[in-house]
Parts: sequence; structure tokens; C-alpha cells
Amino acid sequence: MARRDLVARIVLYAVLLAALVVVVGPFLWMLVSSFKTEGEIRSAPTGWPSHWTFTNYRDLFSRLNFPQYFANSAIVALLVTAGNLLFCSLIGYALAKLNFPGRKALFLTVLGMLMVPGMVTFVPQFVLISNMGLANSYAGLVLPFLAGPFGVFLMRQFLLAIPDDLIEAARVDGAGEWRIFWRIVLPLCRPALATLGILTFLASWNNFLWPLVVATTDDKYTLPVALALYSIGQNRIYFGLLLAGAVVVVLPVLIVFLVLQKHFLRGIATTGLK
Amino acid sequence: MNHRSFVAVAASAALALSVAAGCGRGSSADTETAKAVSEGKASGDITVWAMGTEGEKLAEFAKAFTAENPDAKVSVTAVPWDAAHQKIASAIAAKQTPDVSMIGTTMQGEFAKTGALDPTPTDLIGKDAFFPGAWDTTVVDGTSFGVPWYVETRGIYYRTDLAAKAGFPDGPKTWDDLTAMAAAMQSKAGAKWGLNVQPGKTGSWQSVLPFAWSNGAEISADGKYTFDTPAMTEALTYYQSFFTKKLAPDNLPQGALEPAFVKGEIGAFMSGPWHVGILNEAGGKDFAAKYSVVGMPAGKSSTSFIGGSNIAVFKDARNRDAAWKFLAWLSKPEVQVKWYQTATDLPAVQKAWDDPALSGDKLLQVFGTQLKSAKAPPAFPTWEQVAAVFDTEVEKVCVGGEDPAAALKSVQQQADAIGTGA
Repeated sequence: MARRDLVARIVLYAVLLAALVVVVGPFLWMLVSSFKTEGEIRSAPTGWPSHWTFTNYRDLFSRLNFPQYFANSAIVALLVTAGNLLFCSLIGYALAKLNFPGRKALFLTVLGMLMVPGMVTFVPQFVLISNMGLANSYAGLVLPFLAGPFGVFLMRQFLLAIPDDLIEAARVDGAGEWRIFWRIVLPLCRPALATLGILTFLASWNNFLWPLVVATTDDKYTLPVALALYSIGQNRIYFGLLLAGAVVVVLPVLIVFLVLQKHFLRGIATTGLK
Repeated sequence: MNHRSFVAVAASAALALSVAAGCGRGSSADTETAKAVSEGKASGDITVWAMGTEGEKLAEFAKAFTAENPDAKVSVTAVPWDAAHQKIASAIAAKQTPDVSMIGTTMQGEFAKTGALDPTPTDLIGKDAFFPGAWDTTVVDGTSFGVPWYVETRGIYYRTDLAAKAGFPDGPKTWDDLTAMAAAMQSKAGAKWGLNVQPGKTGSWQSVLPFAWSNGAEISADGKYTFDTPAMTEALTYYQSFFTKKLAPDNLPQGALEPAFVKGEIGAFMSGPWHVGILNEAGGKDFAAKYSVVGMPAGKSSTSFIGGSNIAVFKDARNRDAAWKFLAWLSKPEVQVKWYQTATDLPAVQKAWDDPALSGDKLLQVFGTQLKSAKAPPAFPTWEQVAAVFDTEVEKVCVGGEDPAAALKSVQQQADAIGTGA
């Protein structure tokens, strides 16, 4: 028995290790290569740098108004995430637990919106935003993403699992709807909120096309747009800058993920239980 | 490059929408005439979109313009190349265009056709100053929309040491030379591949068409695409021969070309002026002595592709007159030379090439000579779409061994179905 356990364990670790290499390998390559010179990335793309250089990072930070772009990205991503957490849980709660006429139709509409690809609504949305006079403003960057059908769906599905008895008990005790939502329902939703938070933050942080089109002057650009600016030329790609830029963009996302990962895992586990 | 395809889809959606919803300002069937530009100095704020390096360096560069025109201000927004098409297309749809924007030569037809670009006041900016091939890229339905800003063209880079061993110390002059040199580089000079040309994928038309033009083929005549012609078939058959004779690799990964060329594994390749910088970076200081560039090997002629970028004024410009004055300034020979020294963009204005900064460089002169006769595809609004079809068929021919005549027939059929859009 013990020996079979050992063999099984060795096999398991071998498989996990292989998976780890596949997942982490490209990331490490990106990190290591970002410390090579442009010439070395082209002549010796694999292996350690012959000498470590910070040229790519120095180039990046000197050519780019980094604090500005970073702040833009952060402001937009945080506002969008906060908006999603608030509005999606509110709508999700209404759809899951409140009885009102048209509830089913509303839910079907949300489901329908899930099926519409973003590129179909992209240009009309931009025309709408610019007719509202919001082109080139933070409002224009944030507003269209404050709530999304996916978030509403996720929250509704999660909230369905919360026993009605809990809510009714609160009602019997004299709590109003707002109070029930804030004090009873939201705290129970923490795993789902963490999941939603990470996914929205990621999507917003990495969003490229919308900020590119809405920002008509470069002081409103976000990080991904700014990085594409300098690393990809008309006829050539500056790999050193691109890789250093990618590292810089990925770091905040990694930090957010590490902070929220405990909740995130629990979120996936619980949603999986349903 | 996941968002590339997304960009393409969204952009065509944008333009389709601008037409369907009537946002486009009535596209013109007849030639348009430009309004006159007022006399005197430019004034007011001129908003400019420019891509990549150009966007990065133009603001500082334009200070010389504002020194001459103290009442004017140039505000430059840098736009990533990768998504420039999408950004401009959306801006046109939503009427959020700046006064001036850089327009890639291959986007020109499509954007001019939306009716958003202002016709060039040719009394202010004369056509004769530019390379004819470059000027042609601004012309849609007989009207010029914008001016060429900078240009580039394609030639053959080759290792001088390997070429000498192969018996072609001055590089290939004709089609037969090119084949013979590539073969000899493999048999006598130890190269793994004699030549690298793009075997399909996005932009391969820029490599194939120079061979077609050099063979006397044209891609359009009388407002129709003409791919299915004997001259074109002959050129594509010749292009295919590099792959069937195993002289050129058909699956070289991106970024593998330069190290292989530096090591002498690839003896020659076809590319544009920007590769000088890349090679000198990849090969180190002394490498510059080991390679040279020669113009397109001649079939019936030596005719290359002219690319680069134009710069145009939008009809909705708030400061139109000043915008055109700015473009007129950018088109001055001495400003073009300065811009070359600032951004290494090759001047579109012919006279600028007489300046020692350009005439003193041996490699540049090769491109300079090539530019005089170089051609561009017609500025049809559908060109990008047809080019994508062409690229796909080229890949089938080079990698899949399809018959060039059959492939071109298929290109012709699809191009006819798409139409020129003019």
C-alpha cells in the first residue's frame, strides 16, 4: 500500500511539475528576457542574459509618462471594480430574492446580453459616449463598464444558494430591505465578490481597445495603450521594451491576485458546489 | 496578437456602420476640389494624431514650426500602430477626429471613401515634389487626400562574404542571379538557406508584388483588380520556386531571421530600410561590413513596393487652414531631412535626397534609387480585404505547394466578389 502511495505521489508530482513548467515557463522567460539587450533577445532568445541590463526598464520609464498612465489605469480599474461589486450584487440580489413583475424577462435580458459579442456594440457605444460629451474623460472610460451581464449572472447564481429562511428571519426581526442586503446578504457573498472583483479588475486593467479609442489625447491613456505605443512599430517590434512593459503591467495584477486568492479559491469551490 | 483580428472586425463594423447609419458625409463619386487655404501665418491649436515613433517625436519637432508661426500650437497625440486603424475608424464614425492624422498608405483608400478626409489643396502642396509612387497612394478617385510624409521600400539584403563565395560579390542583379546566388550560397558557402522571403501570412503581398511589378504585371486596370494574368502567374511561379527548390525556409519563426543571418545560416533576405538598425543591433559593431543591400533583382524591370505613411487633414478639422500650413511645412525638403535625422524616416520629397545626410549613405542610396520607380497598390477602399485574400493564397502556394495559376484564379474570383469599393 505504502509503496503504491509513493509511486502515485511521484507520478502526481511529475505531472504537476510538468504543468508548472508549462504555466510558469513563459512568464519566467518574459522576466529574464526583459533584462537582455534588444540585440541579445534577437540573437539568443533563450538562456540567461550574458550580462543583466536595466536599459529596457530605463527606456520604458524615461520615454513614458509612467506615473500618469499608471494612475489612469489604477483609477479606472478600481472604479470599474467597485461599480461592478456594488451594482452586480444589487441587481443579482433583486433577481434572485425579490419578487417583482418582469423579473423573469429582466433575467432573460441579462442572459441575452451575455451572448452579444463586445465588438458588435463597440462602435455604437463609442458614438453614444461621444454624443454624451464624454469622449476623452474618466467618465467615458469608466461608465460603460460599471455593471456587466456576467457579473449580474454570477451574483444571481450565487445568491440563489443563500437560504430564503435567513432573509425572512431578518425580515421578521424588523430589518428593512437595505439593512438585509448590507448586513445579511453581502457578508455571505464574500467569495463571489472576490471572484467578481478579480475578474473585473483583470479585465479592466488589461482593457486595450476602449481606452485607446475613447482617450483622444495621451494624458488619458492607460498602461496597456501606452505600452503598445512604444514597443510595436510600423515594421518592427521592440521586444526588449515590450517584455519590460509586460512585466510592469503584470505586477499589479499579480499582487491583487495574491491578496484575494484565498477568497478566490473559495469562490470557485463554492460556485462549483451548486 | 489576439486583438489584431478583433481590431479588424470592429473596424470594418465601424465603417459599415458609418455608411449604414448615414454618418459618413456622402461619399463622392466625382473628383472633389479643395477649398483654398488662407494666406499668412498659421494660428490656433492644431491637433495631430501620429503613430509610434512619429507620435513620440513630432511634438518636440513641431516646435520649429511654432517658432515660425508664434500664434499656432501643435498638440500631438501618439497612437499605437497596432490599433491605429481602429482608432481612426471609430473616430470617424463618432465624429471625434482631430485636425490632422497620420494615415498608413494602405488605409488611405478606405478612409478617403468615408468622406472624412479633406482634399489636398494642390496649389499649396505640389504633387511633383514627391516620389510619384508615394503621391499615388494619396489619390482616390482622382482626388488627392493628404500628402506623403515618409516612405520605405524593399530590397535584398545579402551577406557580402557568402555572396562572394557564391560568385556574386555585388549581389544579384536579375531573377536568374537571385536563384543562382541562393543555390550557390547553400552549395558553396555553407548557408542553410540561400534566401528568406515571406511564405504567406499578413503582409506577404508586399514581398510578392515587387516580383510581379518587376515582371510587368499590374494588380488593377480600368477600375478592376487583375490578378489572373500571365505576368502575375509567372511572377508567383518564380516566387514559389524558392520554396520548391528548398532555397528558402517556409516556417521561420518570428525573430529567427536576424540571428540566422548574423550566423550566416541565411544568406539573403528581402526587407525594408528599418532592417539596417535591427541587423546592426543583432550583429554588433563590426557586422555592418558583412552585409549589403541591392535593389529588386530585375525581371523586365526592377520595381519595388513603396510603403510608409501619409498625413491628412479631416473635413471636420476645427483649424483647417493652419493644419494644411503645417503639412506644407512638413513637406519642405529641409524639414524632411531634419525629420529623417530625428526619426530615421525616409523623405517622401525627392529633393531631400540630395542632402549629404542621405546621399552620403551607401545603403540609403540603394533604397533612394529604388523609390523613384517603386509602386503601391491602388488606393481602393477594399484593398486591405483583398490583400488578406492574396496573403492566404500566397501561403497555400509557398507552403502547401498549390498551383500558382489556380491560386491567382481564386484570388481573382474573391477580389471580383469583394469589388474595388470605388
